[in-house]
Amino acid sequence: MPVRIKSGSALHWALRALVLVLLALMVWQMVSGAQPSTLGKYTEAMALAIAALSLNLLFGFNGQISIGHSTFAGISAFFLGYSVRFWDNRPFVSLVEACVLCFVIGLLIGLPALRLKGPYLALVTLAVAYVWPTVAGQFIARKVTAVTGESALTKFRVDPPTWTGLKASRQDRALYLFWVALVLMLICYVIVRNLRRSRAGRSLVAVRDNETAAAVMGVNLSRTKTLAFGVSASIAGVSGWLIAAKIGTIDENSFTILNSIKYILALILGGVATLTGPIVGAFAYFFADDYLKEHAPNWEWLPGKFGDGPIASFLLGVLVIAFVFIAPQGVVGLFRSIGRKIATIVPEPIRVEPIAPATEAIHATIHEPIDEEP
Amino acid sequence: MTDFVQYVIDGLAIGSVYALIALGLVVVYRGTGQINFAQGEMALFSTLITWWLHDHGVPLLLAMAISAAFAFVGGALIEVGLMRPAARRSAFAPVVIAIGLFQGLNSLSGILFPRSGQGLPFPSLFPNDPDDFWKQFGVAIRIERVGVFAVVLVITALLFALFQKTKIGLAMRTVANNPESAKLVGVPTGRILMFSWALAAVIGSIGGALKAGIDTNVSIGSMFSVFLLSAAAATLGGLDSPGGAVIGGLSLGVIESLVGNYPESWPGSDWIGIETKTAVAFLIILVVLLLRPAGLFGSVKVERV
Repeated sequence: MPVRIKSGSALHWALRALVLVLLALMVWQMVSGAQPSTLGKYTEAMALAIAALSLNLLFGFNGQISIGHSTFAGISAFFLGYSVRFWDNRPFVSLVEACVLCFVIGLLIGLPALRLKGPYLALVTLAVAYVWPTVAGQFIARKVTAVTGESALTKFRVDPPTWTGLKASRQDRALYLFWVALVLMLICYVIVRNLRRSRAGRSLVAVRDNETAAAVMGVNLSRTKTLAFGVSASIAGVSGWLIAAKIGTIDENSFTILNSIKYILALILGGVATLTGPIVGAFAYFFADDYLKEHAPNWEWLPGKFGDGPIASFLLGVLVIAFVFIAPQGVVGLFRSIGRKIATIVPEPIRVEPIAPATEAIHATIHEPIDEEP
Repeated sequence: MTDFVQYVIDGLAIGSVYALIALGLVVVYRGTGQINFAQGEMALFSTLITWWLHDHGVPLLLAMAISAAFAFVGGALIEVGLMRPAARRSAFAPVVIAIGLFQGLNSLSGILFPRSGQGLPFPSLFPNDPDDFWKQFGVAIRIERVGVFAVVLVITALLFALFQKTKIGLAMRTVANNPESAKLVGVPTGRILMFSWALAAVIGSIGGALKAGIDTNVSIGSMFSVFLLSAAAATLGGLDSPGGAVIGGLSLGVIESLVGNYPESWPGSDWIGIETKTAVAFLIILVVLLLRPAGLFGSVKVERV
């Protein structure tokens, strides 16, 4: 029999505080004495987490599948590279501008989503992701190679500002980007979380579960779906910006469909339609991939080296398939179901206000326990 | 003008391969309502098996037949072992499985055929030396292109005969129309879905071998663009319409060939060159889908709440 903890009780708050302290300790552990390469890996994992967050908003909460999110990341990455290099833009100004740009392009690509459903929409976004590298290649050829003779966007370093006290060395830059990534990831997480709990977020879920019913309930379908696309696209843009800032050299092959698939895999590993799933999944994916690449044994009977790329990515494919059967709700779902056996959070009974009675109560009872953190 | 005819014929040949793979997608979609994202990689895997057999001295046609038999079994196993149990779990689980299969099969090909990353030489079914063509009204018609087109035509005709004239085809159409009612009137839905997947895998293995023959080369990446274009072709025609898939595939091949060969005469052509011809094909599909969301020949489903 699991322990019952009242929502909002002292014990509940103590548990929350404990989780926060543990997370803070984890971050501290990550930063202290880490090599620049390790910090870089954390930064890349957080960029992946942001991309998975954006996909979760669109796919997990709104039910629209997009295989084109690599494109938004790519647009944003190119915007950073080009604007810092050629317009002397400041990196964070270009982050804001790239987000706006991605939002607008996301709205435009979201327009077909009003008429297309399921597999048709997936194919349109697939087409977008497929077209992007050729457009990016043309862009580099015309706007970069023609001017500088280089075949990629480079030399746009994101250096720490002076007030941080960090220097422009490799170590300090890695540390700076780590903190930037952490802050950006938290901001994106809070945006998605608050959106999910707001009226707009409830419309998103209503549209996902049954479009016609949602429309009958008064949800503006076209506004909800395009906005979901736009917001999701600009969050994906944040991820691309971060990757570009971290690796410092991008070309047309930096953001292909395979990146989109990576985002989807990370989301699935963590748990679709859970708030923390994308972050957990991204770290799980990134470090599973990393571990497999570095520490895998070299078995004689295999034609290639075990640690080689193909075998690691093969195992990831197997892992994803296995997860559908072992943990369909991802890592987060798995832990949640284990956690439920130990302790459950019992919500406060809902006080029904006399004027606005039914709808709020229904929303609260139906949706809150599903996506709420334990 | 002769150039134009030439490009159309070239486009029809490659378009017929798209049409074939698109038919494989349609067969699965009609049964399960899912796009098989792993269709291209399944085709790749079978094509590599064909290559391996041929490399070890098996005649090409026999190699293709063995590989098709392998694909039949493999496709059936994937449906029974993965897709069906996954579909019972949630609506989007099969999509996830397909994406996992995509990743897994692609890397498995790289592991089992280590040199396939760079590309392996693949023989063509038809004579494809530079001078193997008929000269007719000033148009050079390459024998290989005509051969591929003819093979696909025959296979398509056989498939349509299967759908329309046989009992199993009738059952497939019933399942596509309404799985629940099909079950109620005694159609073995499970076996039909298994057969659909097996059939799709066989179609993929033939299409893959034809494409590799045209390219005279097969590599890990070569089936992905074929899958994309076939998926686009199926979407253009309507995902539940076999006839639409054929028309979609052929027209996509022709569009691609024309755009790729006339780069100077298109608006904005300094941005759209031979590398971006696929982009144009996709743009056309986007416009078609905006006007007709279920594709040109697809059926519009009315939803009840």
